Amino acid sequence: MKKDKKPDMNRSYKWFVLPIYAFTFFFVLGPLIYMLILSFLMRDEVWGVTSTFTFKNYLDIFEPVYLSTFVESLKLALISTVLVAVIGYLFGYFMAKLSAKWKKIMMMLIMIPFWTSSLIRLYGWIIIFRANGTLDTILMSLGLTAEPLKLLYTYPAVVVGMIYALVPFMILSVYSSVEKMDWSLVEAARDLGASSMKAFWTVTFKLTLPGLLTGIILTFVPSMGLFFIADILGGNKVVLVGNLIQEQLMKVHNWPFAAALSVALLLIMTVMIFVYRKITKSKDLEATL
Amino acid sequence: MKNRTKLPNIYLGVMIALMYLPIVLVIVYSFNESKISSVWDGFSLRWYKELFRDSSMFEALMNSIFLAFVSSFLAAIIGTFGAVGMAKVEYKSKGIVEYVSQLPMMIPEIVLGMVFLTYFSLLNLPFGMLTLIIAHTAFCIPYVYMQVKARLVGLSPSYVEAAKDLGASELRAFFDITLPLVLPAILSGMLLSFAMSFDDVIISVFVTGVDVNTLPIKVYSQIKTGVTPKINALCTLMFIATVLVLIISNFVGKKGKVDNNEK
Amino acid sequence: MKKILALALAICMIACMFTGCAKKKETLTIYTWEGMFPQEVLDAFTEETGIEINYAVFDTDETMLAKLQAAKGGDYDLVIADDYIIETAIAEGLVQKLDKKKIENFGNINSVYQGQFYDPADEYTVPYGAGVQTIVYNPENVNIDITGYADLWDPSLEDSVGIISNYRVINGMALKVMGESYNIEDTAKIAEAGKKLQELAPNIRLIKDDNLQDDLLSGEINAAVMYTSQVTMAMLENPNLKVVFPKEGIGFGIMAGFIPSKAPNADAAHKFLDYLLQPEVAAQCFEWLGYYCTTAPADELIHEEFRGFLTLPAEFKAEDMEMIGNVSADALAAHDLAFTEFKSLCE
Repeated sequence: MKKDKKPDMNRSYKWFVLPIYAFTFFFVLGPLIYMLILSFLMRDEVWGVTSTFTFKNYLDIFEPVYLSTFVESLKLALISTVLVAVIGYLFGYFMAKLSAKWKKIMMMLIMIPFWTSSLIRLYGWIIIFRANGTLDTILMSLGLTAEPLKLLYTYPAVVVGMIYALVPFMILSVYSSVEKMDWSLVEAARDLGASSMKAFWTVTFKLTLPGLLTGIILTFVPSMGLFFIADILGGNKVVLVGNLIQEQLMKVHNWPFAAALSVALLLIMTVMIFVYRKITKSKDLEATL
Repeated sequence: MKNRTKLPNIYLGVMIALMYLPIVLVIVYSFNESKISSVWDGFSLRWYKELFRDSSMFEALMNSIFLAFVSSFLAAIIGTFGAVGMAKVEYKSKGIVEYVSQLPMMIPEIVLGMVFLTYFSLLNLPFGMLTLIIAHTAFCIPYVYMQVKARLVGLSPSYVEAAKDLGASELRAFFDITLPLVLPAILSGMLLSFAMSFDDVIISVFVTGVDVNTLPIKVYSQIKTGVTPKINALCTLMFIATVLVLIISNFVGKKGKVDNNEK
Repeated sequence: MKKILALALAICMIACMFTGCAKKKETLTIYTWEGMFPQEVLDAFTEETGIEINYAVFDTDETMLAKLQAAKGGDYDLVIADDYIIETAIAEGLVQKLDKKKIENFGNINSVYQGQFYDPADEYTVPYGAGVQTIVYNPENVNIDITGYADLWDPSLEDSVGIISNYRVINGMALKVMGESYNIEDTAKIAEAGKKLQELAPNIRLIKDDNLQDDLLSGEINAAVMYTSQVTMAMLENPNLKVVFPKEGIGFGIMAGFIPSKAPNADAAHKFLDYLLQPEVAAQCFEWLGYYCTTAPADELIHEEFRGFLTLPAEFKAEDMEMIGNVSADALAAHDLAFTEFKSLCE
């Protein structure tokens, strides 16, 4: 990035940023301000909101059972993100090493499932996990288990669902950064006597960090808000912030509380991304938010 | 040594197989006579017949494709220009605008849908395809923006400088130099956007109008009356169509197109 | 840049064409869940009257009300939704009174479903299907004789009960076991019901709304509290299942059609309601829908295979049944807290 501020530079790139400035101002900032205002209002008896200002919605979050849903969500998001990062990084890395033809095929293979409804794909997992379903049949016919495992509607099933839904984001992010990497640097390190492991950690990993971190953000952020996976594969027993917000809006009709929960969620995510950036101290993290 | 070269391929193969397992089962069960997914009543084309009688399903499918295409395209334009421009301009407001533009990704969809509904009706926008496109573009932009931005990091600015020294305008330099370099990132951002838009139900159901149904809305609104295997049949057809389109476009695209993935 | 602007403009125009391509024919916009009518019934209506049907769908009652509010009671001609939300919609002034002169078949409505809390004078709505809260279980895998909600607490049912996720219905089970009303306002009593419900947690295997019958049929669960349409589907598949009307009391809910206050084509909506109330049409609809038939003369036209599930048992008296109505914000908050605590214990 150039440091000298040539006046003409701002002028011409002004047109580049105009669309995103305008769109953000009109269609993101507006709704956001509305959400913020909503979070300080009082709910009406049955439906809607009154114009009374209150902090009550934010205080309500500290009800132990609601606080614990935040903890649960963070836990699940972290578990999923770590697993997705490991699985997706390996996948993206190996994929980038394939021949051009196979790269293309792989790319297609990853994208195709996206083109079918995610709800339906989750139903596919139900068929796999349910009592006497695909997995049980396989395991029992191999003699590995004696009776149905009862995997459906358990925590591991939710984690599998999360990984399944989010891993393509990681793969694509990692892939695009491994793919643009300069392999001669790795060779140079090897020539200088570094083991392949060492060369990987000091060169490859460092160079692909931006992709990995983009993937982590793209995984972590949605996993805090996803609720239908916990609903469908977890039998609704794992209560996440997403579920809580959904219920406050659609069942309890408490919109302000839902808005307050969303603001709290936003704050937590912002803080986590900020702390994460500080810990890794990587300049490359500029790339992520 | 041989083991070493094979292991990655085995890993890739197993992962792809796992990705496709649920889809294969959905396809198998689309041929199930029974309305209930846990019972196998024998092979039947019943759900395909029901599907073809229901023209509204195909209408919804077309709406979904159109919507996903337009919003991912708009997101690609806004997101790419934004990411490239933001790297260059020195406005004070830059950081905050960047942050705010990424927020739609962090807000739970249901809340976003609710506030969009109120906001659009405040602006008196007619609910329908237009509002759907605006809302979808809003949550698609971050995907393109982040991918492009990650790609820009580490790309040497010297090419662009050189082009400009040779008298090219910024726009010219952008189209000739920057765009080809970030194209893979734009494409993967667009693919993700397309997928997100194509699959979205929660925001869509709030901002859609009287006569625009998207496919996910159709699927989710069945929950009250029971989701029938008709949807499995539709997914199977979509799956086959996608595969066909990709294969055909691959054949057509081979001719005369420079592959930007290659160095 | 100009090119892009032109392109954007073109896209907007296409979009406008998509939304704005106003159909010249007379249309009726119905707003309800997906799959509420057999296609033949809709087609026959169009054939009979020449009115095209535009079928718009929502996923939850709340979405419907929010959308209807944004449209200020316009846009939609006929809405079919659940009872409690209709009460709110009427209170918000979004519903118009029916012109009964235009609905000749109004008298066909089963009187059990009339005069309910959401429309005490039957001025606004025509019921279309009712659900009765029942327990269904598989006697092959359950050793006890289930006769009421209280039996679900039995330790022998550990990790084998499935319930729908409607928190008023589920909290209501505990309230009923305690001998209280569904619509109690006393937050202390609701909290007490919540405590009672927590004891049920070890028996709960899953909580979900969609396709719960599949889990009962596959053996994932052995007993369930589910929606009537799901009960119908389960019974058709496995007639050995047992349906129990809980001895603590019967709760039920009604779906009904109403015409929004500024419906663009209220006339067609009246015609359609009248059409739905024809016994033959109604019978066809309820066989498809799997909810209790609300059109009395249709009862005997319903195919024998279904009649048992779709018509009220003769021994039912309206006064033994209770509907779940709207309660105050404080009571709702207490319900929500109780239900959330219950769910977090269900692990």
